[in-house]
Amino acid sequence: MKISLEWIKEYVGTRLSLSSLIDRLDMIGLVVDDWQEKDGDIILDIETHANRPDTLGHLGVARELAAGLGLPLKEKDWPLVELEQETSDFIDIQILDRDLCHRYSGIVVRDIQVKTSPEWLRKKIESMGLNPLNNVVDVTNYVLFSTAHPIHAFDLAKISGQKIIIRRAHKDEIFKTLEGETIGLSPEMLVIADAKKPVALAGVMGGSDTAVSETTRDVFIESAWFDPVSVRKTSKETGIQTDASYRFERGADLSMCPQAALMAASLLSQLGGKSTREVYDVFPKPPKNKTIILRHNRITELLGIEVDQEFVQDTLPKLGFQLEPRQEGSWQVTIPFFRVDIEREADLIEEIARFYGYDKIPSHFPPLCVPEPPRKEKREKINKIRQLLFHQSFDEVINFSFADPEKEAVFLKQRPEIAIKNPISQKASYLRTSLLGGLLENIAWNKNRGAEGLNIFEIGNIYFWDDSKAVEELFIGMATTGFIGQSYWEGKDEEAGYFCLKGTCESIMAHLRYEPFSFQEAKHDYFETGFSLALVYKGEKVGILGLLKSSLLDSFSLKDAVWAAELNLASLFSKQSKPFEYKPVIKFPSVSRDVSFLVKRNVSYQDIKEAVEKLSVAYLERFDLYDRYSGPTISGNKVSLSLRFIFRHPKKTLLAKEVDSLQQRIIKHLKSRFNIQLRKGGQIDKRVRKN
Amino acid sequence: MKAFKNNVTKCRREFDKSVLQIKSEKSLQELRNHYLSRKRGQLTLLFEDLMALKPEQRPIAGQMVNELKKDIQEKLQSLKKTFKTEEEVVERTDFTLPGKVRYWGAAHPVHLFQAEIENIFISMGYSIEEGPEIETDYYNFGALNFPPHHPARDDWDTLYLKDELLLRTHTSPVQIRVMEKQKPPIKIVIPGKVYRKETPDPTHLPMFYQLEGLVVDKGITFAHLKGTLEYFLKTLFSEKIKMRFRPGFFPFTEPSAEVDIGCTVCEGKDEECRVCGGSGWIEILGSGMVDPQVFKNVNIDPEEYTGFAFGLGIDRTAMFAYQISDMRFFYENDLRFIRQFLLK
Repeated sequence: MKISLEWIKEYVGTRLSLSSLIDRLDMIGLVVDDWQEKDGDIILDIETHANRPDTLGHLGVARELAAGLGLPLKEKDWPLVELEQETSDFIDIQILDRDLCHRYSGIVVRDIQVKTSPEWLRKKIESMGLNPLNNVVDVTNYVLFSTAHPIHAFDLAKISGQKIIIRRAHKDEIFKTLEGETIGLSPEMLVIADAKKPVALAGVMGGSDTAVSETTRDVFIESAWFDPVSVRKTSKETGIQTDASYRFERGADLSMCPQAALMAASLLSQLGGKSTREVYDVFPKPPKNKTIILRHNRITELLGIEVDQEFVQDTLPKLGFQLEPRQEGSWQVTIPFFRVDIEREADLIEEIARFYGYDKIPSHFPPLCVPEPPRKEKREKINKIRQLLFHQSFDEVINFSFADPEKEAVFLKQRPEIAIKNPISQKASYLRTSLLGGLLENIAWNKNRGAEGLNIFEIGNIYFWDDSKAVEELFIGMATTGFIGQSYWEGKDEEAGYFCLKGTCESIMAHLRYEPFSFQEAKHDYFETGFSLALVYKGEKVGILGLLKSSLLDSFSLKDAVWAAELNLASLFSKQSKPFEYKPVIKFPSVSRDVSFLVKRNVSYQDIKEAVEKLSVAYLERFDLYDRYSGPTISGNKVSLSLRFIFRHPKKTLLAKEVDSLQQRIIKHLKSRFNIQLRKGGQIDKRVRKN
Repeated sequence: MKAFKNNVTKCRREFDKSVLQIKSEKSLQELRNHYLSRKRGQLTLLFEDLMALKPEQRPIAGQMVNELKKDIQEKLQSLKKTFKTEEEVVERTDFTLPGKVRYWGAAHPVHLFQAEIENIFISMGYSIEEGPEIETDYYNFGALNFPPHHPARDDWDTLYLKDELLLRTHTSPVQIRVMEKQKPPIKIVIPGKVYRKETPDPTHLPMFYQLEGLVVDKGITFAHLKGTLEYFLKTLFSEKIKMRFRPGFFPFTEPSAEVDIGCTVCEGKDEECRVCGGSGWIEILGSGMVDPQVFKNVNIDPEEYTGFAFGLGIDRTAMFAYQISDMRFFYENDLRFIRQFLLK
């Protein structure tokens, strides 16, 4: 809200410096966002609050400032040059829909010559950032910016049948706005009509047919109270927002109607017009002012400081409240109509606090109470995963939750996607159903800026419809491409790739003790055929990983291969994990045995692993694949695998022959299951390491 | 057999000749490979020839080759020793070569800063709560005392999904969700993503992070709100930070207060400061005493309990803390930006 300092000074005689004035306004909650000098005046840009329509005019701001500075508020008289006639001699006002119009006041000003406004008025209008139009329109705007009460002037001659009817619009009725646009009306909208048709959209905008023009001689001034919700709906529906609708939808001052009309008539009288004798005021059901009981001790309970009773009795009346003492330490407070925001005791306490000064309220530390904190397993797990990924050279990213339906079509197809009704742009018109789209975007961004490779992950929700329920589920997405880190002078650069990514998935599962888990070959729309796996835990697919389809990479203009994985953390976290158990360290030495063998290529490592695990060999502590070889020296469709088995007995040192028999059991089993062919260490394969 | 013997002799001569030309450890290594390499070394070839001889000839031939091999090995060994002593200084590893630095992944700066803020509150005995990002109109607005069709809603530009569903515009709905199931005392902070219908620019984003706090108990006052937030801001920024509380408006608090800190960039000295706009103050927190209507909506008696609530933008606060000029940097995910915070 623009506020002219000169204008304010008509109400408050302050000589404070600008900076002290701004500070004072800030500290009573009228924050000055900005200010500028204009034609010898200072125009403040004040941030007003949605619940304080009274501060949308100079009077309201001046009232606050006067109370804040302890100065009186000067209010002017508005004398009229009067005609003999009554307003009702010229016009008949009828409110048909009283629920939406509680009060309608009007006055007629005759013989006004519509022309350019005098200098002082032009300056006022310009200070509000508007272009002066003519004296009548400028006066209505002057009243609005003075009192915050919007009024409207009709060309009296153009009001058909000398009738003003406040009613809901008829079905299919049309209306031509001041700006010349024709709009269709609906029966929820309140209009001001004459005998024939709507002449104004109540509280929003006047019509062009009854607009004041150069030929206008007599005007009818409207000053009314319209229902805020109705004005807001009409304004939203028609897309017309005006200074008037902005104020009415926040709540106008019911008591101000006749006064604002009078003020306009008085000003027009000064400009050569003659007004009817008094305001025609239709006010069918004048409500009583609200009253609230204010307890002195409650002020202390809420603010944490005892404010003097005198301060309360002194401050509230300055703001327009009336106080009547009740029993010891309480008052009955009558609320003026312009304070639509005050409804409860707490609202009054805020008023006291504002003028007492937030800076004078002491700072105390609350009494130490520590309610039992809930276990935050989810957060702990997420943090564990994050630490693990940092350790494995993954950088963390955070992307917007939106998805581009064009670029991310493949992802959005996977689940019933959620559209945003009013998106910021087409490119952000859906909620993401996968984290991978964002990761690809990040890879493209960084590659375009010189990155050779990336290892990135994001933990966040994806969103989709489950029937009519909107679901958000926590996922982790990981993507890897190219070389990571700097080249080192010794050894090879580290290339990201499938096995790094799979290893990361395995460590997530292992560290959170989701074991045993397994991988299965699974086709998936994201991945190239034959290059994708599903991660399975407790019989359920909890994740996928693989080589992203090149068609997918194309939409992000990516050329190099990208490996990606996505795990459903929500589903994973809902499953039981293995309990953590401490095991004493065994002091007896282990015995390790290497076994190299040839096996058909179509036997997967996972099959072999599961077969050995199922065997439950006694004292077999662990086993690992430490070499895999397939080259010209290996015939046919076979591959050479080297496994290292580590045996350990908890209570003694194992003897070689004991281990021999355990080893034989494994070999025998693998022979029968997979027809493996043992290789003799060192003879063919020179790379076998000896223990 | 004769041919084989010739080959052995030839090989020995050639070796003796080559040995004389060895001048460096490198050429020594080459020579070793030429003769002893397991794949193509001259001696390996001789052994292969040996396998082609008749079995009865093999032992003698074998002995010849073995002798040659032993001699070659001995000579190479002694040569190696001489090189070691002569070239020790030159060939010693350069220990000033760069050490191997492992690539350590970086946390996203918003998460880092979030943790920093959370930890201050955890140290004050707060616990952390979370809630859904897809909310209903009731939790996002109604229960928080936003009247239907009130312009106050315009201050929270909302992204709508379908019917009553929307993307939460603040973390405040979680206040309601917690108070519905937990009776006072309550002492929580709520971090999370929130959404607004805003086109991205340096200070506005359609998605950002907020952290909300809520304390409800008997006897909680505005003075406690001030004490808590002052402690928090001093811990987060510095003991010397300037701050002020001024009246504000939030439908869900009454009285409401906005908290400003003294501009960390210009300290109020630059009239054209980009960060504070010359006012010397930066708005950092919204806060207030929990509105009695909010308590009624969750069946807590506002006469018995009072409470305070506050909220701040995590990314926005991080901008001030690190003097980041553009909020969009956080979500571009440029690793040159993100990885700087490894040093934090």
